[in-house]
Amino acid sequence: MHVVIMGCGRVGAALALALERLGHDVAVIDQSLQAFRRLGADFHGQQVRGVGFDRQVLIEAGIERAGAFAAVSNGDNSNIISARVARETFGVTQVVARIYDHKRAAVYERLGIPTVATVPWTTDRFLRILLLDNEPVPWRDPSGTVAVVQLPLHEGWAGYLVGDLEEHLGARVAFIVRFGTGVLPHHDTVVQADDQVYAAAVSGTVTDVVTAAATAPPTTS
Amino acid sequence: MRVTIAGAGAVGRSIATELLEFGHQVMLIERDPDQLDPHAVEGAEWVLADACELTSLEEAGLERSDVVIAATGDDKVNLVVSLLAKTEFAVRRVVARVNSPRNEWLFTEAWGVDVAVSTPRMLAAMVEEAVSVGDLVRLMTLRQGQANLVEVTLPADTPLAGQPARQLHLPADAALVTILRDGRVIVPQGDDTLEAGDELLFVAAPEVETDVRAALSRRRI
Repeated sequence: MHVVIMGCGRVGAALALALERLGHDVAVIDQSLQAFRRLGADFHGQQVRGVGFDRQVLIEAGIERAGAFAAVSNGDNSNIISARVARETFGVTQVVARIYDHKRAAVYERLGIPTVATVPWTTDRFLRILLLDNEPVPWRDPSGTVAVVQLPLHEGWAGYLVGDLEEHLGARVAFIVRFGTGVLPHHDTVVQADDQVYAAAVSGTVTDVVTAAATAPPTTS
Repeated sequence: MRVTIAGAGAVGRSIATELLEFGHQVMLIERDPDQLDPHAVEGAEWVLADACELTSLEEAGLERSDVVIAATGDDKVNLVVSLLAKTEFAVRRVVARVNSPRNEWLFTEAWGVDVAVSTPRMLAAMVEEAVSVGDLVRLMTLRQGQANLVEVTLPADTPLAGQPARQLHLPADAALVTILRDGRVIVPQGDDTLEAGDELLFVAAPEVETDVRAALSRRRI
């Protein structure tokens, strides 16, 4: 697929190289010739100097045959304008823009442009490290109604069946990472020591599931 | 009327001053504290904020504005402000300044712009109007391009001298509105004839401009 990237900063260059490694045909747009140096000698794609939302520049970068467009310049306005032009004027289906102002990001999401809001993401990661937050952070789906979370599993569960664990938790074991490899368990898979167990749970029950996982298996009489 | 102007540079301030003289309520939004000078335009409300940030526009109560004028020197800002004003605040009329003619094509309803004003284009048209004789000059675009105000100054050797104006073979969608002659404004009627040196003002759809031009160069009408 032909991909056009606006912005050859660190992210743009990394994106271009990654896409090329995956076998795609890439064109990068930037206003500064210096910026293209980040691509290095191994980059075989097109380098177009110019303004990323300028019609002529986009056409020169092959937007008319592009299957995807990424706007990753350092300006929110430039990103959103070029992303929208790519989508509305040139009909590119896969379009995404990087936006620093997350409130503006919400507006553009509503207008149909997927955005990556850098600031909330980065802030979250910083906070986790600064505050030594070791609480498991659940992944939530866009509806916010279900979550996947890594369990602080009590060592007493080694040797038990996944099915029994699920009954105790009130959740589904989504997958297990065992010796660095992901495993999709069946209800009769046996939990092993050092397994990293991830559970899928309905939002609102996550805390209970995590607490249940940390407690030893009930002793049956 | 309540008018909000984004950008309090020379252009924004002049617009504000004029509007205040007409009795309107004016709010100026400016990002740069160095440009903030309430004494420069007294009677206007000054807001120090980034007009592209949704929170700022919410705090300024943009939904109460009848008209928003995006008058900054940055086309990207003007486009984004226009879009936000239209989609988030349902402002009735959005006027945007176009700085670079290369970007003029973007300033349409797709970006929330009701009226786009391109200073370079207007200046060029005014120059053309002053210096070209015999050629059709486009002075102004009306209704987003549905029709143009065009003028022509009849040369000294015009084949139309002495001919009745109403016999001009004008195409449909074109009208001769006014004849300017020796400081007089003549609304062509009855047997009014044309003379060399007359400045003719037409309102014509862009598609028929060629036919208007042809009508003006005919030997006999």
